[in-house]
Amino acid sequence: MLFITNNNLLNLLENIHDQYEIFVPVKKEQTLFYTKYSPPMNIIEKNQTPDQDTIVVGEVRAFEPLKLFYTRARECVAEGFKTDIPRRNPKPFCIVGAKSCDLKGFQVQDFVFKEGEFEDPFYVRERENNLIISADCTCAIDTCFCLALNEKPYPENNFDLNLSQVTGGFIVEDGSEKGKVLINNNSQLFSDPMEKTIAERDALRKKVTDAVKKNIKEHGIPLQDQFNGIIRENYESNIWKDEAQTCVECGACNTICPTCHCFLLYDQMSEKRMERLRVWDSCMIKDFAKVAAGVNPRELLWMRLRNRFEKKFDFFPQLAGIYACTGCGRCISACPAKIDIREVLQRLVKDAQKQPV
Amino acid sequence: MPKNNPYRPVETEVLDVITETPTIKTLKLKPKEEINFKTGQFIELTVPGVGEAPFTPSSRPAIKDMIEVTIMRVGKVTEKAHVLKKGDTVGLRGPFGNGYPLESFFGKEVLVVGGGCGFAPIRSLMYEFFEHSGDFKSLFFRGGCKTPNDFLYKEETVEWSKRDDINVVLTVDEGNVAWKGKVGLVTTILDDVKMEFKIGIAVVCGPPIMMKFATSKLLDMGFKTTNIYLSMEKNMSCGIGKCGHCRIGPYYVCKDGPVFQYEKIKNFHDIWE
Repeated sequence: MLFITNNNLLNLLENIHDQYEIFVPVKKEQTLFYTKYSPPMNIIEKNQTPDQDTIVVGEVRAFEPLKLFYTRARECVAEGFKTDIPRRNPKPFCIVGAKSCDLKGFQVQDFVFKEGEFEDPFYVRERENNLIISADCTCAIDTCFCLALNEKPYPENNFDLNLSQVTGGFIVEDGSEKGKVLINNNSQLFSDPMEKTIAERDALRKKVTDAVKKNIKEHGIPLQDQFNGIIRENYESNIWKDEAQTCVECGACNTICPTCHCFLLYDQMSEKRMERLRVWDSCMIKDFAKVAAGVNPRELLWMRLRNRFEKKFDFFPQLAGIYACTGCGRCISACPAKIDIREVLQRLVKDAQKQPV
Repeated sequence: MPKNNPYRPVETEVLDVITETPTIKTLKLKPKEEINFKTGQFIELTVPGVGEAPFTPSSRPAIKDMIEVTIMRVGKVTEKAHVLKKGDTVGLRGPFGNGYPLESFFGKEVLVVGGGCGFAPIRSLMYEFFEHSGDFKSLFFRGGCKTPNDFLYKEETVEWSKRDDINVVLTVDEGNVAWKGKVGLVTTILDDVKMEFKIGIAVVCGPPIMMKFATSKLLDMGFKTTNIYLSMEKNMSCGIGKCGHCRIGPYYVCKDGPVFQYEKIKNFHDIWE
């Protein structure tokens, strides 16, 4: 465990700027968004009103899910019959301020794109070369419920470096070989943390954890220990029809979800060359599973809503041993129809308990 | 730099186009890089600039420099595939999926039930059967189509029916004056199959509705759920278990199928749709 001042964190970013394309969170109105690191930038101090050059390392997850850096919404994955892999960004990514829920998103995406007989060369390349500098949440917003998915609001693994914001700087922990090397190569920027700094971090972690606990209690959100079998028990339930009533089939829940990974391969001619695009797809859209001959296994909207929950809360736990929900709450904010994953889970758990064993 | 890009098609020459029926054509294809498939596995055919669609090759897997793909005109890609000519260039990706567990059928009695375009994967399977003819206790083929004009591989099916290592019966939903065979759904011509159903193997391939009724009939006859093999048709797009379109329960058809023991998928309620 080490300490780094705000200024030295900027120096660290400066030192790795040649090597990485760095993305940092900045605040617009009430929400964090990722932007390309372009000095001069500053790191938010206590009681400071951030501007467009203020890196807000803490607070909560950004608006965007981190998957968008790794599988672009639309990107070329093959050109004609050429054997080489289309190039993307020349430098690997460094993502600063990724939150605990974002890291869980990576676990699901990693399973999809890295595991099995075939790996996705684009995703794997970016993930292998990237640098993840994660950060503790320093507050919770109303839609945060990570604890229900057994995630703490501060990262414990799956990062290269983790930052915990304290007065005047950050407590730094390394979580990988890459992180260790980075610290060693920049050792002049780090110092040992004082006891009271560590105590400050621990107190803040507890405060944020309590805030998420309060969310869970207030919204009556079930914990994942109760999720086993909630889809199968409720397969024929009216919950699906009920919840799908207001759905407008926009697919925002899929797009904004850090674990949703489905895509469409789309071919087009560009300058007489065939270009194969990989485009994010949404399982809520009517033709998602339809076959060319016209048969559609999920003709109705409520079937597609059920499918979305089945994938997250039955398929992934069976195959990857992980619920494909991070508790980030992005889909709650994004849904124009106010379909609330917390309420759906609450209903599913409640009704599953009613079923005879 | 990763060596393989699973999204890249292999450049492929169209060697010949055979018109099978008014809506079905077979393309003879020569990929520039060898594509070794097992019977029952599928490939993705790219019509350049139009898109991709999945097909199970209908040719003999042992032939390494040529793959035949039988295509019914039903959508955007197949529409364009039907106007391809000899000498045109297309793309192929694959093979993907599991294929038929051929060796596990050895020593057994096998009944193959096919309908319509389902003859395509079955023809490839038949080539394998005939190559290992002595390895089966007995072979039966029951095939059906809408009308006599809709049969695929007309000459070959006649050849099959002349063989003494397989018992072949064909039927049509609707006959015509020239048709001397059976009339009725394929499920109506299964009763004369003489084999020990409890330990026999059944392979079913055809349109979803035909597979549904054939499976139900086979179960009535006494076939075990673990001995009925179905070729599932879902919206397989990437072929590598990533894009999410072809999921059935805990399986991706492109990766865990397309051939499934009925036992594995019988509890998932949307398998026939």
